[in-house]
Amino acid sequence: MYDYQELIMSQYTESDLREELRTARVEPLLPIEKKLIAWSLSLGLTLLVVLAAINHFFPVTL
Amino acid sequence: MSNAYVTDFRVPSTTESAALLNEDWLAVILGLFIFVLGLAALVHVDLIGWVVSTSVWTNLGQALGPASKGYAALGGIGALIATYVALTLVLTAGAAALKSDVKRFALAFTAVFWIAYASWIVGNYAHFAAVTPAEQQKFGISWSLKLTNEGAYIFALIAGLIIANFLPRFATVIKDAVRPELYIKVAIVILGGFFAVTAAGKLSLASSLILRGVAAIVEAYLIYWAVVYFIARKWFGFSREWAAPLASGISICGVSAAIATGGAIRSRPIVPVLVSSLVVVFAVTEVLILPFVAQTWLAHEPLVAGAWMGLAVKTDGAAVAAGGITESLILAKNAAEGVHYQPGWILGTAATIKVFIDIFIGIWAFVLGYIWTNHINVTPASNKAKAREIWQRFPKFIIGFVVTFIVGLYLALGTPAEIAKNVPAAIGEANTFRVIFFILTFFSIGVLSNFRALWRKGFGKLAAVYVTSLFGFVVWVGLLISWIFFHGITPPLAS
Repeated sequence: MYDYQELIMSQYTESDLREELRTARVEPLLPIEKKLIAWSLSLGLTLLVVLAAINHFFPVTL
Repeated sequence: MSNAYVTDFRVPSTTESAALLNEDWLAVILGLFIFVLGLAALVHVDLIGWVVSTSVWTNLGQALGPASKGYAALGGIGALIATYVALTLVLTAGAAALKSDVKRFALAFTAVFWIAYASWIVGNYAHFAAVTPAEQQKFGISWSLKLTNEGAYIFALIAGLIIANFLPRFATVIKDAVRPELYIKVAIVILGGFFAVTAAGKLSLASSLILRGVAAIVEAYLIYWAVVYFIARKWFGFSREWAAPLASGISICGVSAAIATGGAIRSRPIVPVLVSSLVVVFAVTEVLILPFVAQTWLAHEPLVAGAWMGLAVKTDGAAVAAGGITESLILAKNAAEGVHYQPGWILGTAATIKVFIDIFIGIWAFVLGYIWTNHINVTPASNKAKAREIWQRFPKFIIGFVVTFIVGLYLALGTPAEIAKNVPAAIGEANTFRVIFFILTFFSIGVLSNFRALWRKGFGKLAAVYVTSLFGFVVWVGLLISWIFFHGITPPLAS
């Protein structure tokens, strides 16, 4: 894997990468990205609340 | 976004694509091989008792010894040489299966093994490792850094960091054997059996912990990823091609998640490679800080500390290894207060959390690939994300972990008493190899962490996202979630 990493790295000069990261134009968030973020957070927070409730009502048994 | 449509980043080079198996499967085979050899002790055949084990020392001559008394005649040096020869043979065979240059690997591994193990021995010096007043008295010393014997992993890490940053040419010479992902995956496969023996004593506690691992999956994939992606895109202005692998690297499981995501969204290969470099450097920073933070503030919440390592420290190697150091530090602090917890639970919690998170990498990569190839960069039908990529990206070493866990649990609970009583000792010998693979992992992570090279490449902006996300959000949310789900749960007391 690391040979491959070197191969990939060797195809780009440091200044290429620096320049790309410095000058990259801003891509506005697309509606699909906003939807992905919103759905992930909503689902995640809901599931965490459900799991916390389960954790509360079914405590660890020793 | 200028994407070179790379179908799978994990198919690296022409030599490796012609290999018999990949690193994941090799780790499963090696881990199971060691595990099975250890189990021979159940029928009174001690096949791996010669593996070297290191004790805390003041007299170097007494530091080393074979794991089993049956091989006492070998002595410490004999056990060390036997371990080196066996590992070199087995891993070189593995390198041959990966179509690596066998001679270069064997030579490089020789250097890696001896430097890493020498660092481990130094770290076990009593002035560094002794913890309790009783230990200090036993060794006749008046002070100690109290790092514990597993704190010696830090010494292997520092040795690697010195080579990476001050001897970069030597780092290049030994790079063939600098394979932290392989070493930690072998260790995790063996750890499955060790954790099973630990869990067998308190099965209800173990199953409760495993159920709580689900919270880790939700947190990593649905909370962390979304927030870090938003930060990278909105606050730092990164393109989608950079933001997605970066979010996966910071949120999920470091190197493998960044690579899986890069492949899934068809990014240029350079993107996940650079993100991976960043992940390793920050993982090192976390390993050097978080276990000591946990020891200071979470010593009385041991499982919160273990879960926190699994959630906050990125890359499998660093996370599980941080769990090992945390366990050692916290057990030592409690022991000094007269509370003796059973070992294995903190490390087991960290590893379980990490394994739970890893399981879903393939599915998450498929979800992202589906969205990217259908909605963001609409690609030709032949290059759209396919369900089979879920299996292709599934980390196969998890299969090994599950197998050794189930077998270990069966042997401990489902066999006659005369067999079951020998299981801890048999798996304990295999576990000695797990410790050695941890040492190799720490050293290798250090060798890959060239801070100066990373800085030269102008990654300040990437690092800024990492610092903001990791220390401003991931670490603290990880602590909060660990606290909610694990506080008040303590490991069983050692009998």
